[in-house]
Amino acid sequence: MVLDNLGSSLRGTLDDLRGKSRISEDDIDDVVKEIQRSLLQADVDTSLVMDLSDSIKTRALEEEPPSSTSARDWVLRVVYEEMVGLIGESTELPLEPQTIMLAGLYGSGKTTTAAKMAWWFSKKGLRPAIIQTDTDRPGAYDQSKQMAENAEVDFYGDPDADDPVEIAEDGLEATSDADVRIVDTAGRDGLNQELIDQIERIDGAVNPDRNLLVIDAAMGQSAKDQAQEFEESIGIDGVAITKLDGTAKGGGALAAVNETDSSIAFLGTGETVQDIERFEPSGFISRLLGMGDLKQLTERVERAMEETQAEEGEWDPEDMLEGEFTLKDMRHQMSAMDKMGPLDQVMDMIPGMGGGMMDQLPDDAMDVTKDRMREFDIIMDSMTETELEQPRSIGSSQVRRIARGSGTSEERVQELLEQHKMMSKTLNQFQGMGDADMERMMKQMGGGQGGGGMGGMGGGPGGPGPF
Amino acid sequence: MFDGLKDKLSSFKKDVEEEAEVEEEDLDEDAEPTASEADPDAPAESEADAAVDAEGAEPSDSDEETPDGESDDDGSSDRGLMQRAKLAATGKKVIEPEDLEGPLEDLELALLSSDVEMNVAQDILEGIRENLVGETRAQVKTTGHVVEEALHDALVDVISVGQFDFDEHIAAADKPVTIIFTGVNGVGKTTTIAKLSQYFEERGFSTVLANGDTYRAGANEQLQQHAENLDRKIISHEQGSDPAAVIYDGVEYARANDVDVVLGDTAGRLHTSNDLMDQLEKIDRVIDPDMTLFVDEAVAGQDAVNRAREFNDAAEIDGAVLTKADADPQGGAAISIAQVTGKPILFLGTGQDYDDLEPFDPEVIVDRLLGFDEE
Repeated sequence: MVLDNLGSSLRGTLDDLRGKSRISEDDIDDVVKEIQRSLLQADVDTSLVMDLSDSIKTRALEEEPPSSTSARDWVLRVVYEEMVGLIGESTELPLEPQTIMLAGLYGSGKTTTAAKMAWWFSKKGLRPAIIQTDTDRPGAYDQSKQMAENAEVDFYGDPDADDPVEIAEDGLEATSDADVRIVDTAGRDGLNQELIDQIERIDGAVNPDRNLLVIDAAMGQSAKDQAQEFEESIGIDGVAITKLDGTAKGGGALAAVNETDSSIAFLGTGETVQDIERFEPSGFISRLLGMGDLKQLTERVERAMEETQAEEGEWDPEDMLEGEFTLKDMRHQMSAMDKMGPLDQVMDMIPGMGGGMMDQLPDDAMDVTKDRMREFDIIMDSMTETELEQPRSIGSSQVRRIARGSGTSEERVQELLEQHKMMSKTLNQFQGMGDADMERMMKQMGGGQGGGGMGGMGGGPGGPGPF
Repeated sequence: MFDGLKDKLSSFKKDVEEEAEVEEEDLDEDAEPTASEADPDAPAESEADAAVDAEGAEPSDSDEETPDGESDDDGSSDRGLMQRAKLAATGKKVIEPEDLEGPLEDLELALLSSDVEMNVAQDILEGIRENLVGETRAQVKTTGHVVEEALHDALVDVISVGQFDFDEHIAAADKPVTIIFTGVNGVGKTTTIAKLSQYFEERGFSTVLANGDTYRAGANEQLQQHAENLDRKIISHEQGSDPAAVIYDGVEYARANDVDVVLGDTAGRLHTSNDLMDQLEKIDRVIDPDMTLFVDEAVAGQDAVNRAREFNDAAEIDGAVLTKADADPQGGAAISIAQVTGKPILFLGTGQDYDDLEPFDPEVIVDRLLGFDEE
């Protein structure tokens, strides 16, 4: 996710300020240097980084901190405010009939984003349509058509036409029933005058309510120039960052936002049409500064639970809180967690879990956990119905059989049973517990970490039960 | 491509030059008073040195004297008068670490803002520092020259890693030669394949295209269209089928029909997707291609190294192709990818037409970066 490195390194530097009441210039220099590094590593434009760090420095030193504010809190607040100022609010998208045009460099993900946005609008109760005007790239029509089918939305395109302006005009007419019309355009290099002329003509014909610039999260310092060109030619009202499920930080988008004087509208986080999120600045910054992003976590949990339930039908997570916690429940929990996305992303959203604590875990802890979950899943495939329902009844000869059946080792099967026992115990503690106890619980979980890898795995704060 | 970095590099040269010159003036200023008040025989010594070079007793004398005589000296106190005198006599200047700190910091920023990955940038700086500090330069050479050489060496070191003659390699290899293209989504693998097909044809090699991207909607149609435009045979299966099988069929077809080169496309995948990376490993294992080319875009920023590393781990690459070079004035991605994989950049994609593909020549690129071709 954008800038998540900043989170950890910044916290490290800020911890040095702990206990100080006054900030010296040296202190601030260290903090600022750390911020610069993280931002640059996240592909944020260099001049933007310099501006930002300058104003953080000036404000932290010159402005009088409110009385009884520690140096650390004050710096944190300045950083927070400056970041908010830079990133701004999420692009306003009224849920009403409108036309949106997408523009961007080749391969940034416009066609996929068009389908995702259409899906998003359809979930909000509007009727979207995609108009595909890319006549350059071979296969663009077929790709777009199929993605529209995946998103179950209307589609217009004409594989035989070769004038995008004409297609756009015909498309608007053909989709006049739709509420939201999303016009996809061919990928283009903003520095290429011919291509810019073309999109200006499409812009003129479509007369969109909003132009969104689609930017690959991995894009580096070129984002600024590209954004500038698009802004000059058609005017950009918002930015969609794609491929955020990779390791790229998306800092290039900040330059784009700054350059176009717009804001971030959507985040693309995967290959299917559902993998789209509205950008939420507050949660974004909170997560950045290690405060967790409960709102998004809740949303993800809910969505994952819905999906799991849709697949499994009769399973109700509430059952877990009453009665016996079986291996089946554990499996459901695991699959729900898997649906929430990469574990480390999820962990980062949990207050108290993200940031500082994540830093203490070895780098591959998350991968290990994921591999382990997959292995457990395979092991459970080799168990009988009764064994899944009553794991405590599994004896050593059964363990041997399961190990052989699943192609794993007896130790692994034992580990799974151990894990289940632990989760079951944890869950018992949750039962009948009020919200007030949660925090104490969290702390306990924190203390319990370290033994046996990710000891708390699904049963801990990541599990659906508590939320 | 590379224009951005070029500007920054030339300003780095200028900075070091200026620093060093300022230093020189300082040095001259305080060299004179020292000589006249505290150390009357210093000039004599230096003359003597100039004539006979370093001789036994005299130098050790002057070494003892210097610390007292120059206690208020600022810039060059750690270099003995003896040595300074020698330098003056032989017409050489020494580049001090302090001369470099400021400019190097600026250079780091310049590299970063050209999309060179942070660790790679630091390696380059380290190389320059090692090469330059304590380096003596003849007075006839400007500091700029020395810096330029050091920069040139550091960049060539990084960027020219593992270069080989691509055409010769293909010509010498047993036919059919199988080349697999890997990379994340949307970097331009399919377009690159079409361009390379044209490239091979121009050099007298026939090609067959095999569409191993059985995942993305419209992928078959895209490559199909290219094949039609170029009048090439394409092997493709239905969407969702096994990519290794498609490419395997491509190789079989090439064998049966005496085609020289099989160009195998793969679906774009993010390096964080375990399943897809496993699939790539499988393709690599089953097909055992003669060459695996990693395709990435020149506009990629800091993340370029992560991707390159992960793809190289999953299916070892033999080289890289950088696309969209025409849309990117920076060029740092080339430096990062070469450094982290130790594999050469072979081609640059520079436009939308089939012949917009340039062989990558590191010397030419570095010279262009440093502005040699214009001076």
